[in-house]
Amino acid sequence: MADRRLFNLAIKDIEKNPEQLKAVYEKGHCTVLAGPGSGKTKTLTVAMARALLEDVKDPRGIACITYNNECAIELSSRLSKLGIESSGRVFIGTVHSFALTQVIFPYARCTMPEISKDIRVATATECREAVEKAHKIVFNVNEDPHDRWKFAEFKRRRDVDRSQRVWRDQNADLADFIEAYEKELRKKELIDFDDMPILALHIIRDNEWVRNSLRAKFPILFVDEYQDLGYSLHELVLLLCFKVGVRLFAVGDPDQSIYAFTGADPMLLESITDRPDVQKIPLRFNYRCGKSIIEASMAALGAERDYCSPDDAEDGVIDFHGIDGDLDLQAEYIFSKLLPYIQNTGVQLEKIAILYKWAKHGEEVVAKAKEFGILFVRSDTNALIKRNSKISRFIEACANWVSGGWKQADPPFRRLAFDAIALVFGQSSSDKEKLQIQSELIYFLKSTIGTSMSTHQWLSSFRQEVLNDWRKRSRTISEDWDSIDIMIKRTDPTKGDDKDLPLAHFGGRIEGTGRLNLSTLHSSKGREFDAVILFGMNYDIIPNGFERRNEAQFKESRRLFYV
Amino acid sequence: MHMLLSRVQIKNFRNFAYVDVSLSPNVIIIGENRVGKSNFIYALRLVLDSSLPDSARQLKISDIWDGHSFHNSSDPEDPEIEIHLDFTDFDDDDNLIALLTDYRLAEDHNIARLSYVFRKKEEVEGHPASEADFEFKVFGGGDETRSINSQVRRRVCLDVLHALRDAENDLGTWRNSPLRPLLEDSISQIPKEDLHYVARLINDANIQLTAFESIKKLEDNLRQQMTELGGETQDIKSKLGFTSTDPLRLFRAIRVFIDDGKRGINEASLGSANIALLTLKLAEFGWRQEKNERNFTLVAVEEPEAHLHPHLQRKIFGNLFEKNGENGRSFILTTHSPNIASITPLKAVILLKDEGENGTKAYSLAKLSFRIEDLEDLHRYLNTTRAELLFSRGVIFVEGDAEEALVPVFARNLGYDLDSLCITVCNVGGTNFKPYARLATALNLPFAIITDWDPREDGKAYGWARSIQLIFAIRIVQGRGLPKKDNIIKLREDERYLRAIAKQYGIFLNDDTLETEIANTRSLIDPLLKVLAEQNFGQKLTERLNEWSEDNSIIDSAQLMLMIGYVKKGRFADLLAKEVTELTPPEYIKLAIERVVNNG
Repeated sequence: MADRRLFNLAIKDIEKNPEQLKAVYEKGHCTVLAGPGSGKTKTLTVAMARALLEDVKDPRGIACITYNNECAIELSSRLSKLGIESSGRVFIGTVHSFALTQVIFPYARCTMPEISKDIRVATATECREAVEKAHKIVFNVNEDPHDRWKFAEFKRRRDVDRSQRVWRDQNADLADFIEAYEKELRKKELIDFDDMPILALHIIRDNEWVRNSLRAKFPILFVDEYQDLGYSLHELVLLLCFKVGVRLFAVGDPDQSIYAFTGADPMLLESITDRPDVQKIPLRFNYRCGKSIIEASMAALGAERDYCSPDDAEDGVIDFHGIDGDLDLQAEYIFSKLLPYIQNTGVQLEKIAILYKWAKHGEEVVAKAKEFGILFVRSDTNALIKRNSKISRFIEACANWVSGGWKQADPPFRRLAFDAIALVFGQSSSDKEKLQIQSELIYFLKSTIGTSMSTHQWLSSFRQEVLNDWRKRSRTISEDWDSIDIMIKRTDPTKGDDKDLPLAHFGGRIEGTGRLNLSTLHSSKGREFDAVILFGMNYDIIPNGFERRNEAQFKESRRLFYV
Repeated sequence: MHMLLSRVQIKNFRNFAYVDVSLSPNVIIIGENRVGKSNFIYALRLVLDSSLPDSARQLKISDIWDGHSFHNSSDPEDPEIEIHLDFTDFDDDDNLIALLTDYRLAEDHNIARLSYVFRKKEEVEGHPASEADFEFKVFGGGDETRSINSQVRRRVCLDVLHALRDAENDLGTWRNSPLRPLLEDSISQIPKEDLHYVARLINDANIQLTAFESIKKLEDNLRQQMTELGGETQDIKSKLGFTSTDPLRLFRAIRVFIDDGKRGINEASLGSANIALLTLKLAEFGWRQEKNERNFTLVAVEEPEAHLHPHLQRKIFGNLFEKNGENGRSFILTTHSPNIASITPLKAVILLKDEGENGTKAYSLAKLSFRIEDLEDLHRYLNTTRAELLFSRGVIFVEGDAEEALVPVFARNLGYDLDSLCITVCNVGGTNFKPYARLATALNLPFAIITDWDPREDGKAYGWARSIQLIFAIRIVQGRGLPKKDNIIKLREDERYLRAIAKQYGIFLNDDTLETEIANTRSLIDPLLKVLAEQNFGQKLTERLNEWSEDNSIIDSAQLMLMIGYVKKGRFADLLAKEVTELTPPEYIKLAIERVVNNG
């Protein structure tokens, strides 16, 4: 499990920061309020390692809930460097995967016989159909059912505890709509993503023994990015941590709450932090930004926080470039003037990012980058490798291994095999099944080392020789296998949106000639670059007219810019 | 409450066609040789024993229950071995919850089930031809996709102490010695300097030893011969000494001694060696638990009676069983020793019986609850001499000493030797048959109850109410519940109906009391008086017997019964049988004997 020696090394790193140290050695409930660049992931991972070494003895373990798969993957690889691997004892994943693998899968059959064993996650089309049917049953009026569903969806995410009066007292018609929708799904033995935490909450709330079992298995619950997780996670924390005594270690920053549209609310973290039985530990040091940038960010946020930067930090520079004209002109300016200027100061391409508010703005930048022949990597919903898809990330890691990673075991094959097994079989598989996955994987990967396959060729043969078969055998119900097809289509040299590229580029194994980073503001959260170009920061874009008129939305825009 | 293995199901495995048995925290498996006691333990190992390699889990076709018509193509089902172990009462222990919570049953979350199946591979068409066509699976929660991770098998485990015949060997070799982990742990706590100090002392002792002229000579001699044989380069620098002087190897020479260190364990009697081994093994398990290597250990001890004196058997296993499920540890013993059976709490008994074409069946009393006074009654009865009840093929329950003496005589007259038929006559000393009847029913022992009608002044009879209560009790243990209301009324009101039904349940009634029945059995009186007269009773009783012989009409049957109760039973039956020729036993006794002889 956790490695004492690696832990001691990691502790040395944070010795000078008393706040981080305090968080790592905290033994009661605590919330760690961590501003940007405050070393929050480090604090979290070292605290987890200490818990496994000192507080939690085998066979009990710890759970860490993160905002999305990308965070989970990032956290797993950081933990792996401390000797901690995901296992039956250590859960790292999203609230959805916690709900599915730790609550619904083991306990739904004992507590909710109506949830059948063969239940599966609905596709987007199936969800839309259910919305339309439910709309017809409940309203039967001529309007777009999906417009109304947006409101229902919000209510569904917000009023997660349906035993509360508010469920029926406010917008009873939406409650009917939601219930009818869920009934339609159940008829086809389907659940959707929002169902997962809701069902799990019901099971946990109604069954003391389930709460006790979760406490027995995971006496400590770590939550990362608390401010981005919605009401269902919050309710779950209230039940597990303040009802049956699971210890809470929450990390978050209300100022970085930018996912209101998925039901997040910075108030939730604040309400936990304000509890008298919770220790509040603010991390004040910002290791990422210079002084002037911290000051500017406070101005953007419209609030003053007590952040400071280390004494030896540079001040940082902020330049404003006003361009009259449309977004295309802005993009033109960036690639013709700004980018060469920054590169001339010695910053490498892979250390530079262009950020924009929506993925659609990314299209402008992408078009221009292609025009200028600049290599780039995109990390938003239109990215070739979806940061948030476990399968995409797994395939990326395999490409990395094949195009040279195998020499230094970085990534180690052991980890690829572990991920593959988890993708196909989830938490539970026999030794024989594991062995088979492992040997199929190594057989394919080994045979493609040193070949001159392009990404498109490699992906196609990976799919044909291995992945198609895994997909058929798969027992997991929530994996996004379609992303393979999308990647193959997009790298098709004849019709794809992205051009085919060498496998080493795809796998991220490129030296010297890096790629420019393109990202939405949302996806850029928590990432670090030497230089950042904000694109399209126009009066009518951030915040836009709608956001200006709404106080909460306006604040959210401030936070988004701040992030 | 501590976790326990509360239920075992075995299907199509070796002796077992189908077995479904409840277990208490400690278990003692009783059965004749070859009935499948070891196979029962092996079934548990297939699921739990982490030391069992996968190659051993891949069973052979010959492991499938013989009775299964395997090659009979008319059999629609392919043979499948299934073993299911249910654990309960783990919800008080967080470690055990963490291990087992994923394997709770859909229908009852208080039960965690671990299973093993061995069956034809999915892809094999038609009937399987060889072992290669089979595969095994180990899984939990009654769901084959929930495989059991190795952590569970490492932490909830089964340790088997085979028939304790290898005590000496086990203690002798370092690798297998249960002393090893214990010593390694203790030694690790000794400061290095202190170890080196001891090493120096030993070195000094070695030097002094080899300082003796004769020893020195021997050492040189040996070394020289070795060098001659292998050449200079092969000199292995042999030395004579008490033990290695390497501080880290030193402790391997530590042994258990007996008689205050005067003699080695190999000089101990087998019995003492076995006690030492058992103690060490238990200490090892305890240590593993303490070191958080395990959370629950099932200790299976096969036939512990081997080489243990009966007195020791009772003592040792009595002590072990008192520690009921303590420290996350449960015992499973197999035995055919009445000594061990006699100290076993009844709840712990699992009886294995060969039931011919149905294979071996298992019966347990774990689910049966007794009133405390009934339990004491039963335990008093089942002391060493009578634990044979558990091994018998049938029981005749009687009220008192006289019946106990006479029933074998009657049986002999009907042509049955109860002893050689393994049928026990059980004297319950009164009319409290109920706990005995429940016990026999639960163990599926063929039985009969011989009891008096005991008429009352009001025309009813004590035997009447007694029979109804017995019928109810038997039905409840059989899982049939009470009879229908109409039938209960009929049982209470219709004597003929009651007697007929009672017979079906193995309850045999006379019309009055045994005394009157004997008095009415004329052919018995004279031989009886003759044998009693030979018993050297005292003057007064002998005189009375003489008077009775002269005039049968003055016999006081109550007194006669008492006298029969005084005699030594076994011999009495032999003697009487010689004297009695054309005896007709009372009809109800005859029927009772025949019922048990013909297996109910």
